[in-house]
Amino acid sequence: MTIPVTTKTPTMPFVARRTSVRAGIHAAFKAVTRRFGWSTISVLGGLVVWELISRYLVASKLFLAAPTQIAAALIELAQGGELQKHIAISALEFFSGYAIAAIAGVAIGMVMVGSAVGKQMLQPWISGIYATPTVALAPLFILWCGIGVASKIIVVVVLVIFPVIINTEAGLLTTSKDLVETVRSFGADSRQVFLKVSLPSALPFIFAGLKLGIGRGLIGVVVAELFGSRAGLGQLISQSAETFNMPALFAGVAILAAAGIAMTSGFTWLERRLLPWKD
Amino acid sequence: MTVPLAKLSVAGMTKSFQDLDVLRDISVDVAKGEFISIVGPSGCGKTTFLRIIGGLEKATSGTARLDGRVIDGPGSDRGFVFQHDNLLPWRTVFSNAQIGPEIGGYVNAEQAKRTHSLLRLVGLDGFAGFFPRHLSGGMRQRVNLARALAVDPDLLLMDEPFSALDAQTREIMQTELLRIWEEGRKTALFVTHQIDEAVYLSDRVFVFGRRPGRISEIVPIDLPRPRPLSVKRRPEFVALVDRIWQLIEEDVRASVLEERG
Ligand SMILES: Nc1ncnc2c1ncn2[C@@H]1O[C@H](COP(=O)(O)OP(=O)(O)O)[C@@H](O)[C@H]1O
Ligand SMILES: [Mg+2]
Repeated sequence: MTIPVTTKTPTMPFVARRTSVRAGIHAAFKAVTRRFGWSTISVLGGLVVWELISRYLVASKLFLAAPTQIAAALIELAQGGELQKHIAISALEFFSGYAIAAIAGVAIGMVMVGSAVGKQMLQPWISGIYATPTVALAPLFILWCGIGVASKIIVVVVLVIFPVIINTEAGLLTTSKDLVETVRSFGADSRQVFLKVSLPSALPFIFAGLKLGIGRGLIGVVVAELFGSRAGLGQLISQSAETFNMPALFAGVAILAAAGIAMTSGFTWLERRLLPWKD
Repeated sequence: MTVPLAKLSVAGMTKSFQDLDVLRDISVDVAKGEFISIVGPSGCGKTTFLRIIGGLEKATSGTARLDGRVIDGPGSDRGFVFQHDNLLPWRTVFSNAQIGPEIGGYVNAEQAKRTHSLLRLVGLDGFAGFFPRHLSGGMRQRVNLARALAVDPDLLLMDEPFSALDAQTREIMQTELLRIWEEGRKTALFVTHQIDEAVYLSDRVFVFGRRPGRISEIVPIDLPRPRPLSVKRRPEFVALVDRIWQLIEEDVRASVLEERG
């Protein structure tokens, strides 16, 4: 049995002296973090580590690309106009599918609340399909609709629509009975109750569903394109992988990541503008 | 034959939920401009009574008439002030207060001006653009009151509107309510479980008994108006509070004994 070293009391004076040095470093570090923020430091640090690993540790260009190489690939692809073409196709697929899913999802969610028969008929399908990893059906849609844009739009719709339906329904169902009664006491008819109470109170839920849909929709686009396509970021990625062009592969991923981040934060901004009463 | 037509006339009102008799055979008249408070042990049907008059609930039998017309649903001739303020959180103070006219479809510049002056009347000048979550409980109840007044109702129905407020705020709100009421002298029904509040505000106090709910006594309050808060220390006031307390105490004791079996 070893005797545990329990105390550092004898080194007290050293500790005290060291803390003054440490305090200096600490203050300097604090100034840096305050200036740039922890997130920035974390991201920049990560990029530096990535750069170093891919230059000195994983020497093979077949496995990893350094951030600088990725940036170079982005510029090169953009100069040839190839990048813009891929982005345009993927964006077309994403936004068409997303818009269809948003409108249809909200509408179906409303039907689920408004009609008991509708609810009973739709519920098993929705529960069933939502629980299925529907992205696995992408090859089927490609078989049916070809390798063009249409099959990708279908995959996006299928992935995005369910969180929208489910959140719209949940939002409408959580409407406060007291608030409904309040507007009813002023003589509101059922249309007014819906427009003035149910819908606004469901709006934060609907927004949350739409926000969830962004990530799912992007996954849908890429996966569907991976299974077969003529153009798009997923196609860029799969084609680059086949030719072991790691910088171009990562370039495609980087664009997708940027799109996801941009759309999600854009949504957060929109949410704050449209729902100022929320905290 | 009722000689002067009562503002509100309740005749033989009975209400049961399944086999629970909540109100039995209530008949009472309220004159125009009267301020009535309703007190009684909890569960005796005060809220149900108010909701039937508000048209939010249907009586099992009997009628309530407002200006001779039978009440059979909600309407803008009545303004309901709810126990929990029930403000729509996504609407500003002004737009909450405007909801009645908006639902009635008569919103215009003049109406908006009226609502603004109502907000001034309830002491919320300068808060028109605030969201409810930025207001204190007292302020929210002022909006609740302004919202009911915005439809310019013939009858104001208030269900324990101050019950969630602390004692000081509550006393202030009582004087404020009287000040606002003096402006238009609307016929008012005010449910409360605080007896001194009932005496302070009212022309008459309806004392409800329970099982089933009915009016066991009507106590006229002959204190002169306007009433400063100091009226609460006058011997007549204290005597009235005492008298009503005794009426209710009996009922509460009976119900406690009944619960023991
Ligand atoms: N919608 C309802 N369904 C069944 N019972 C009800 C309903 N509303 C009220 N009650 C019952 O009626 C009685 C009177 O309720 P209420 O009018 O709220 O009394 P108070 O306001 O005097 O406390 C209570 O026993 C309550 O449980
Ligand atoms: Mg009650």
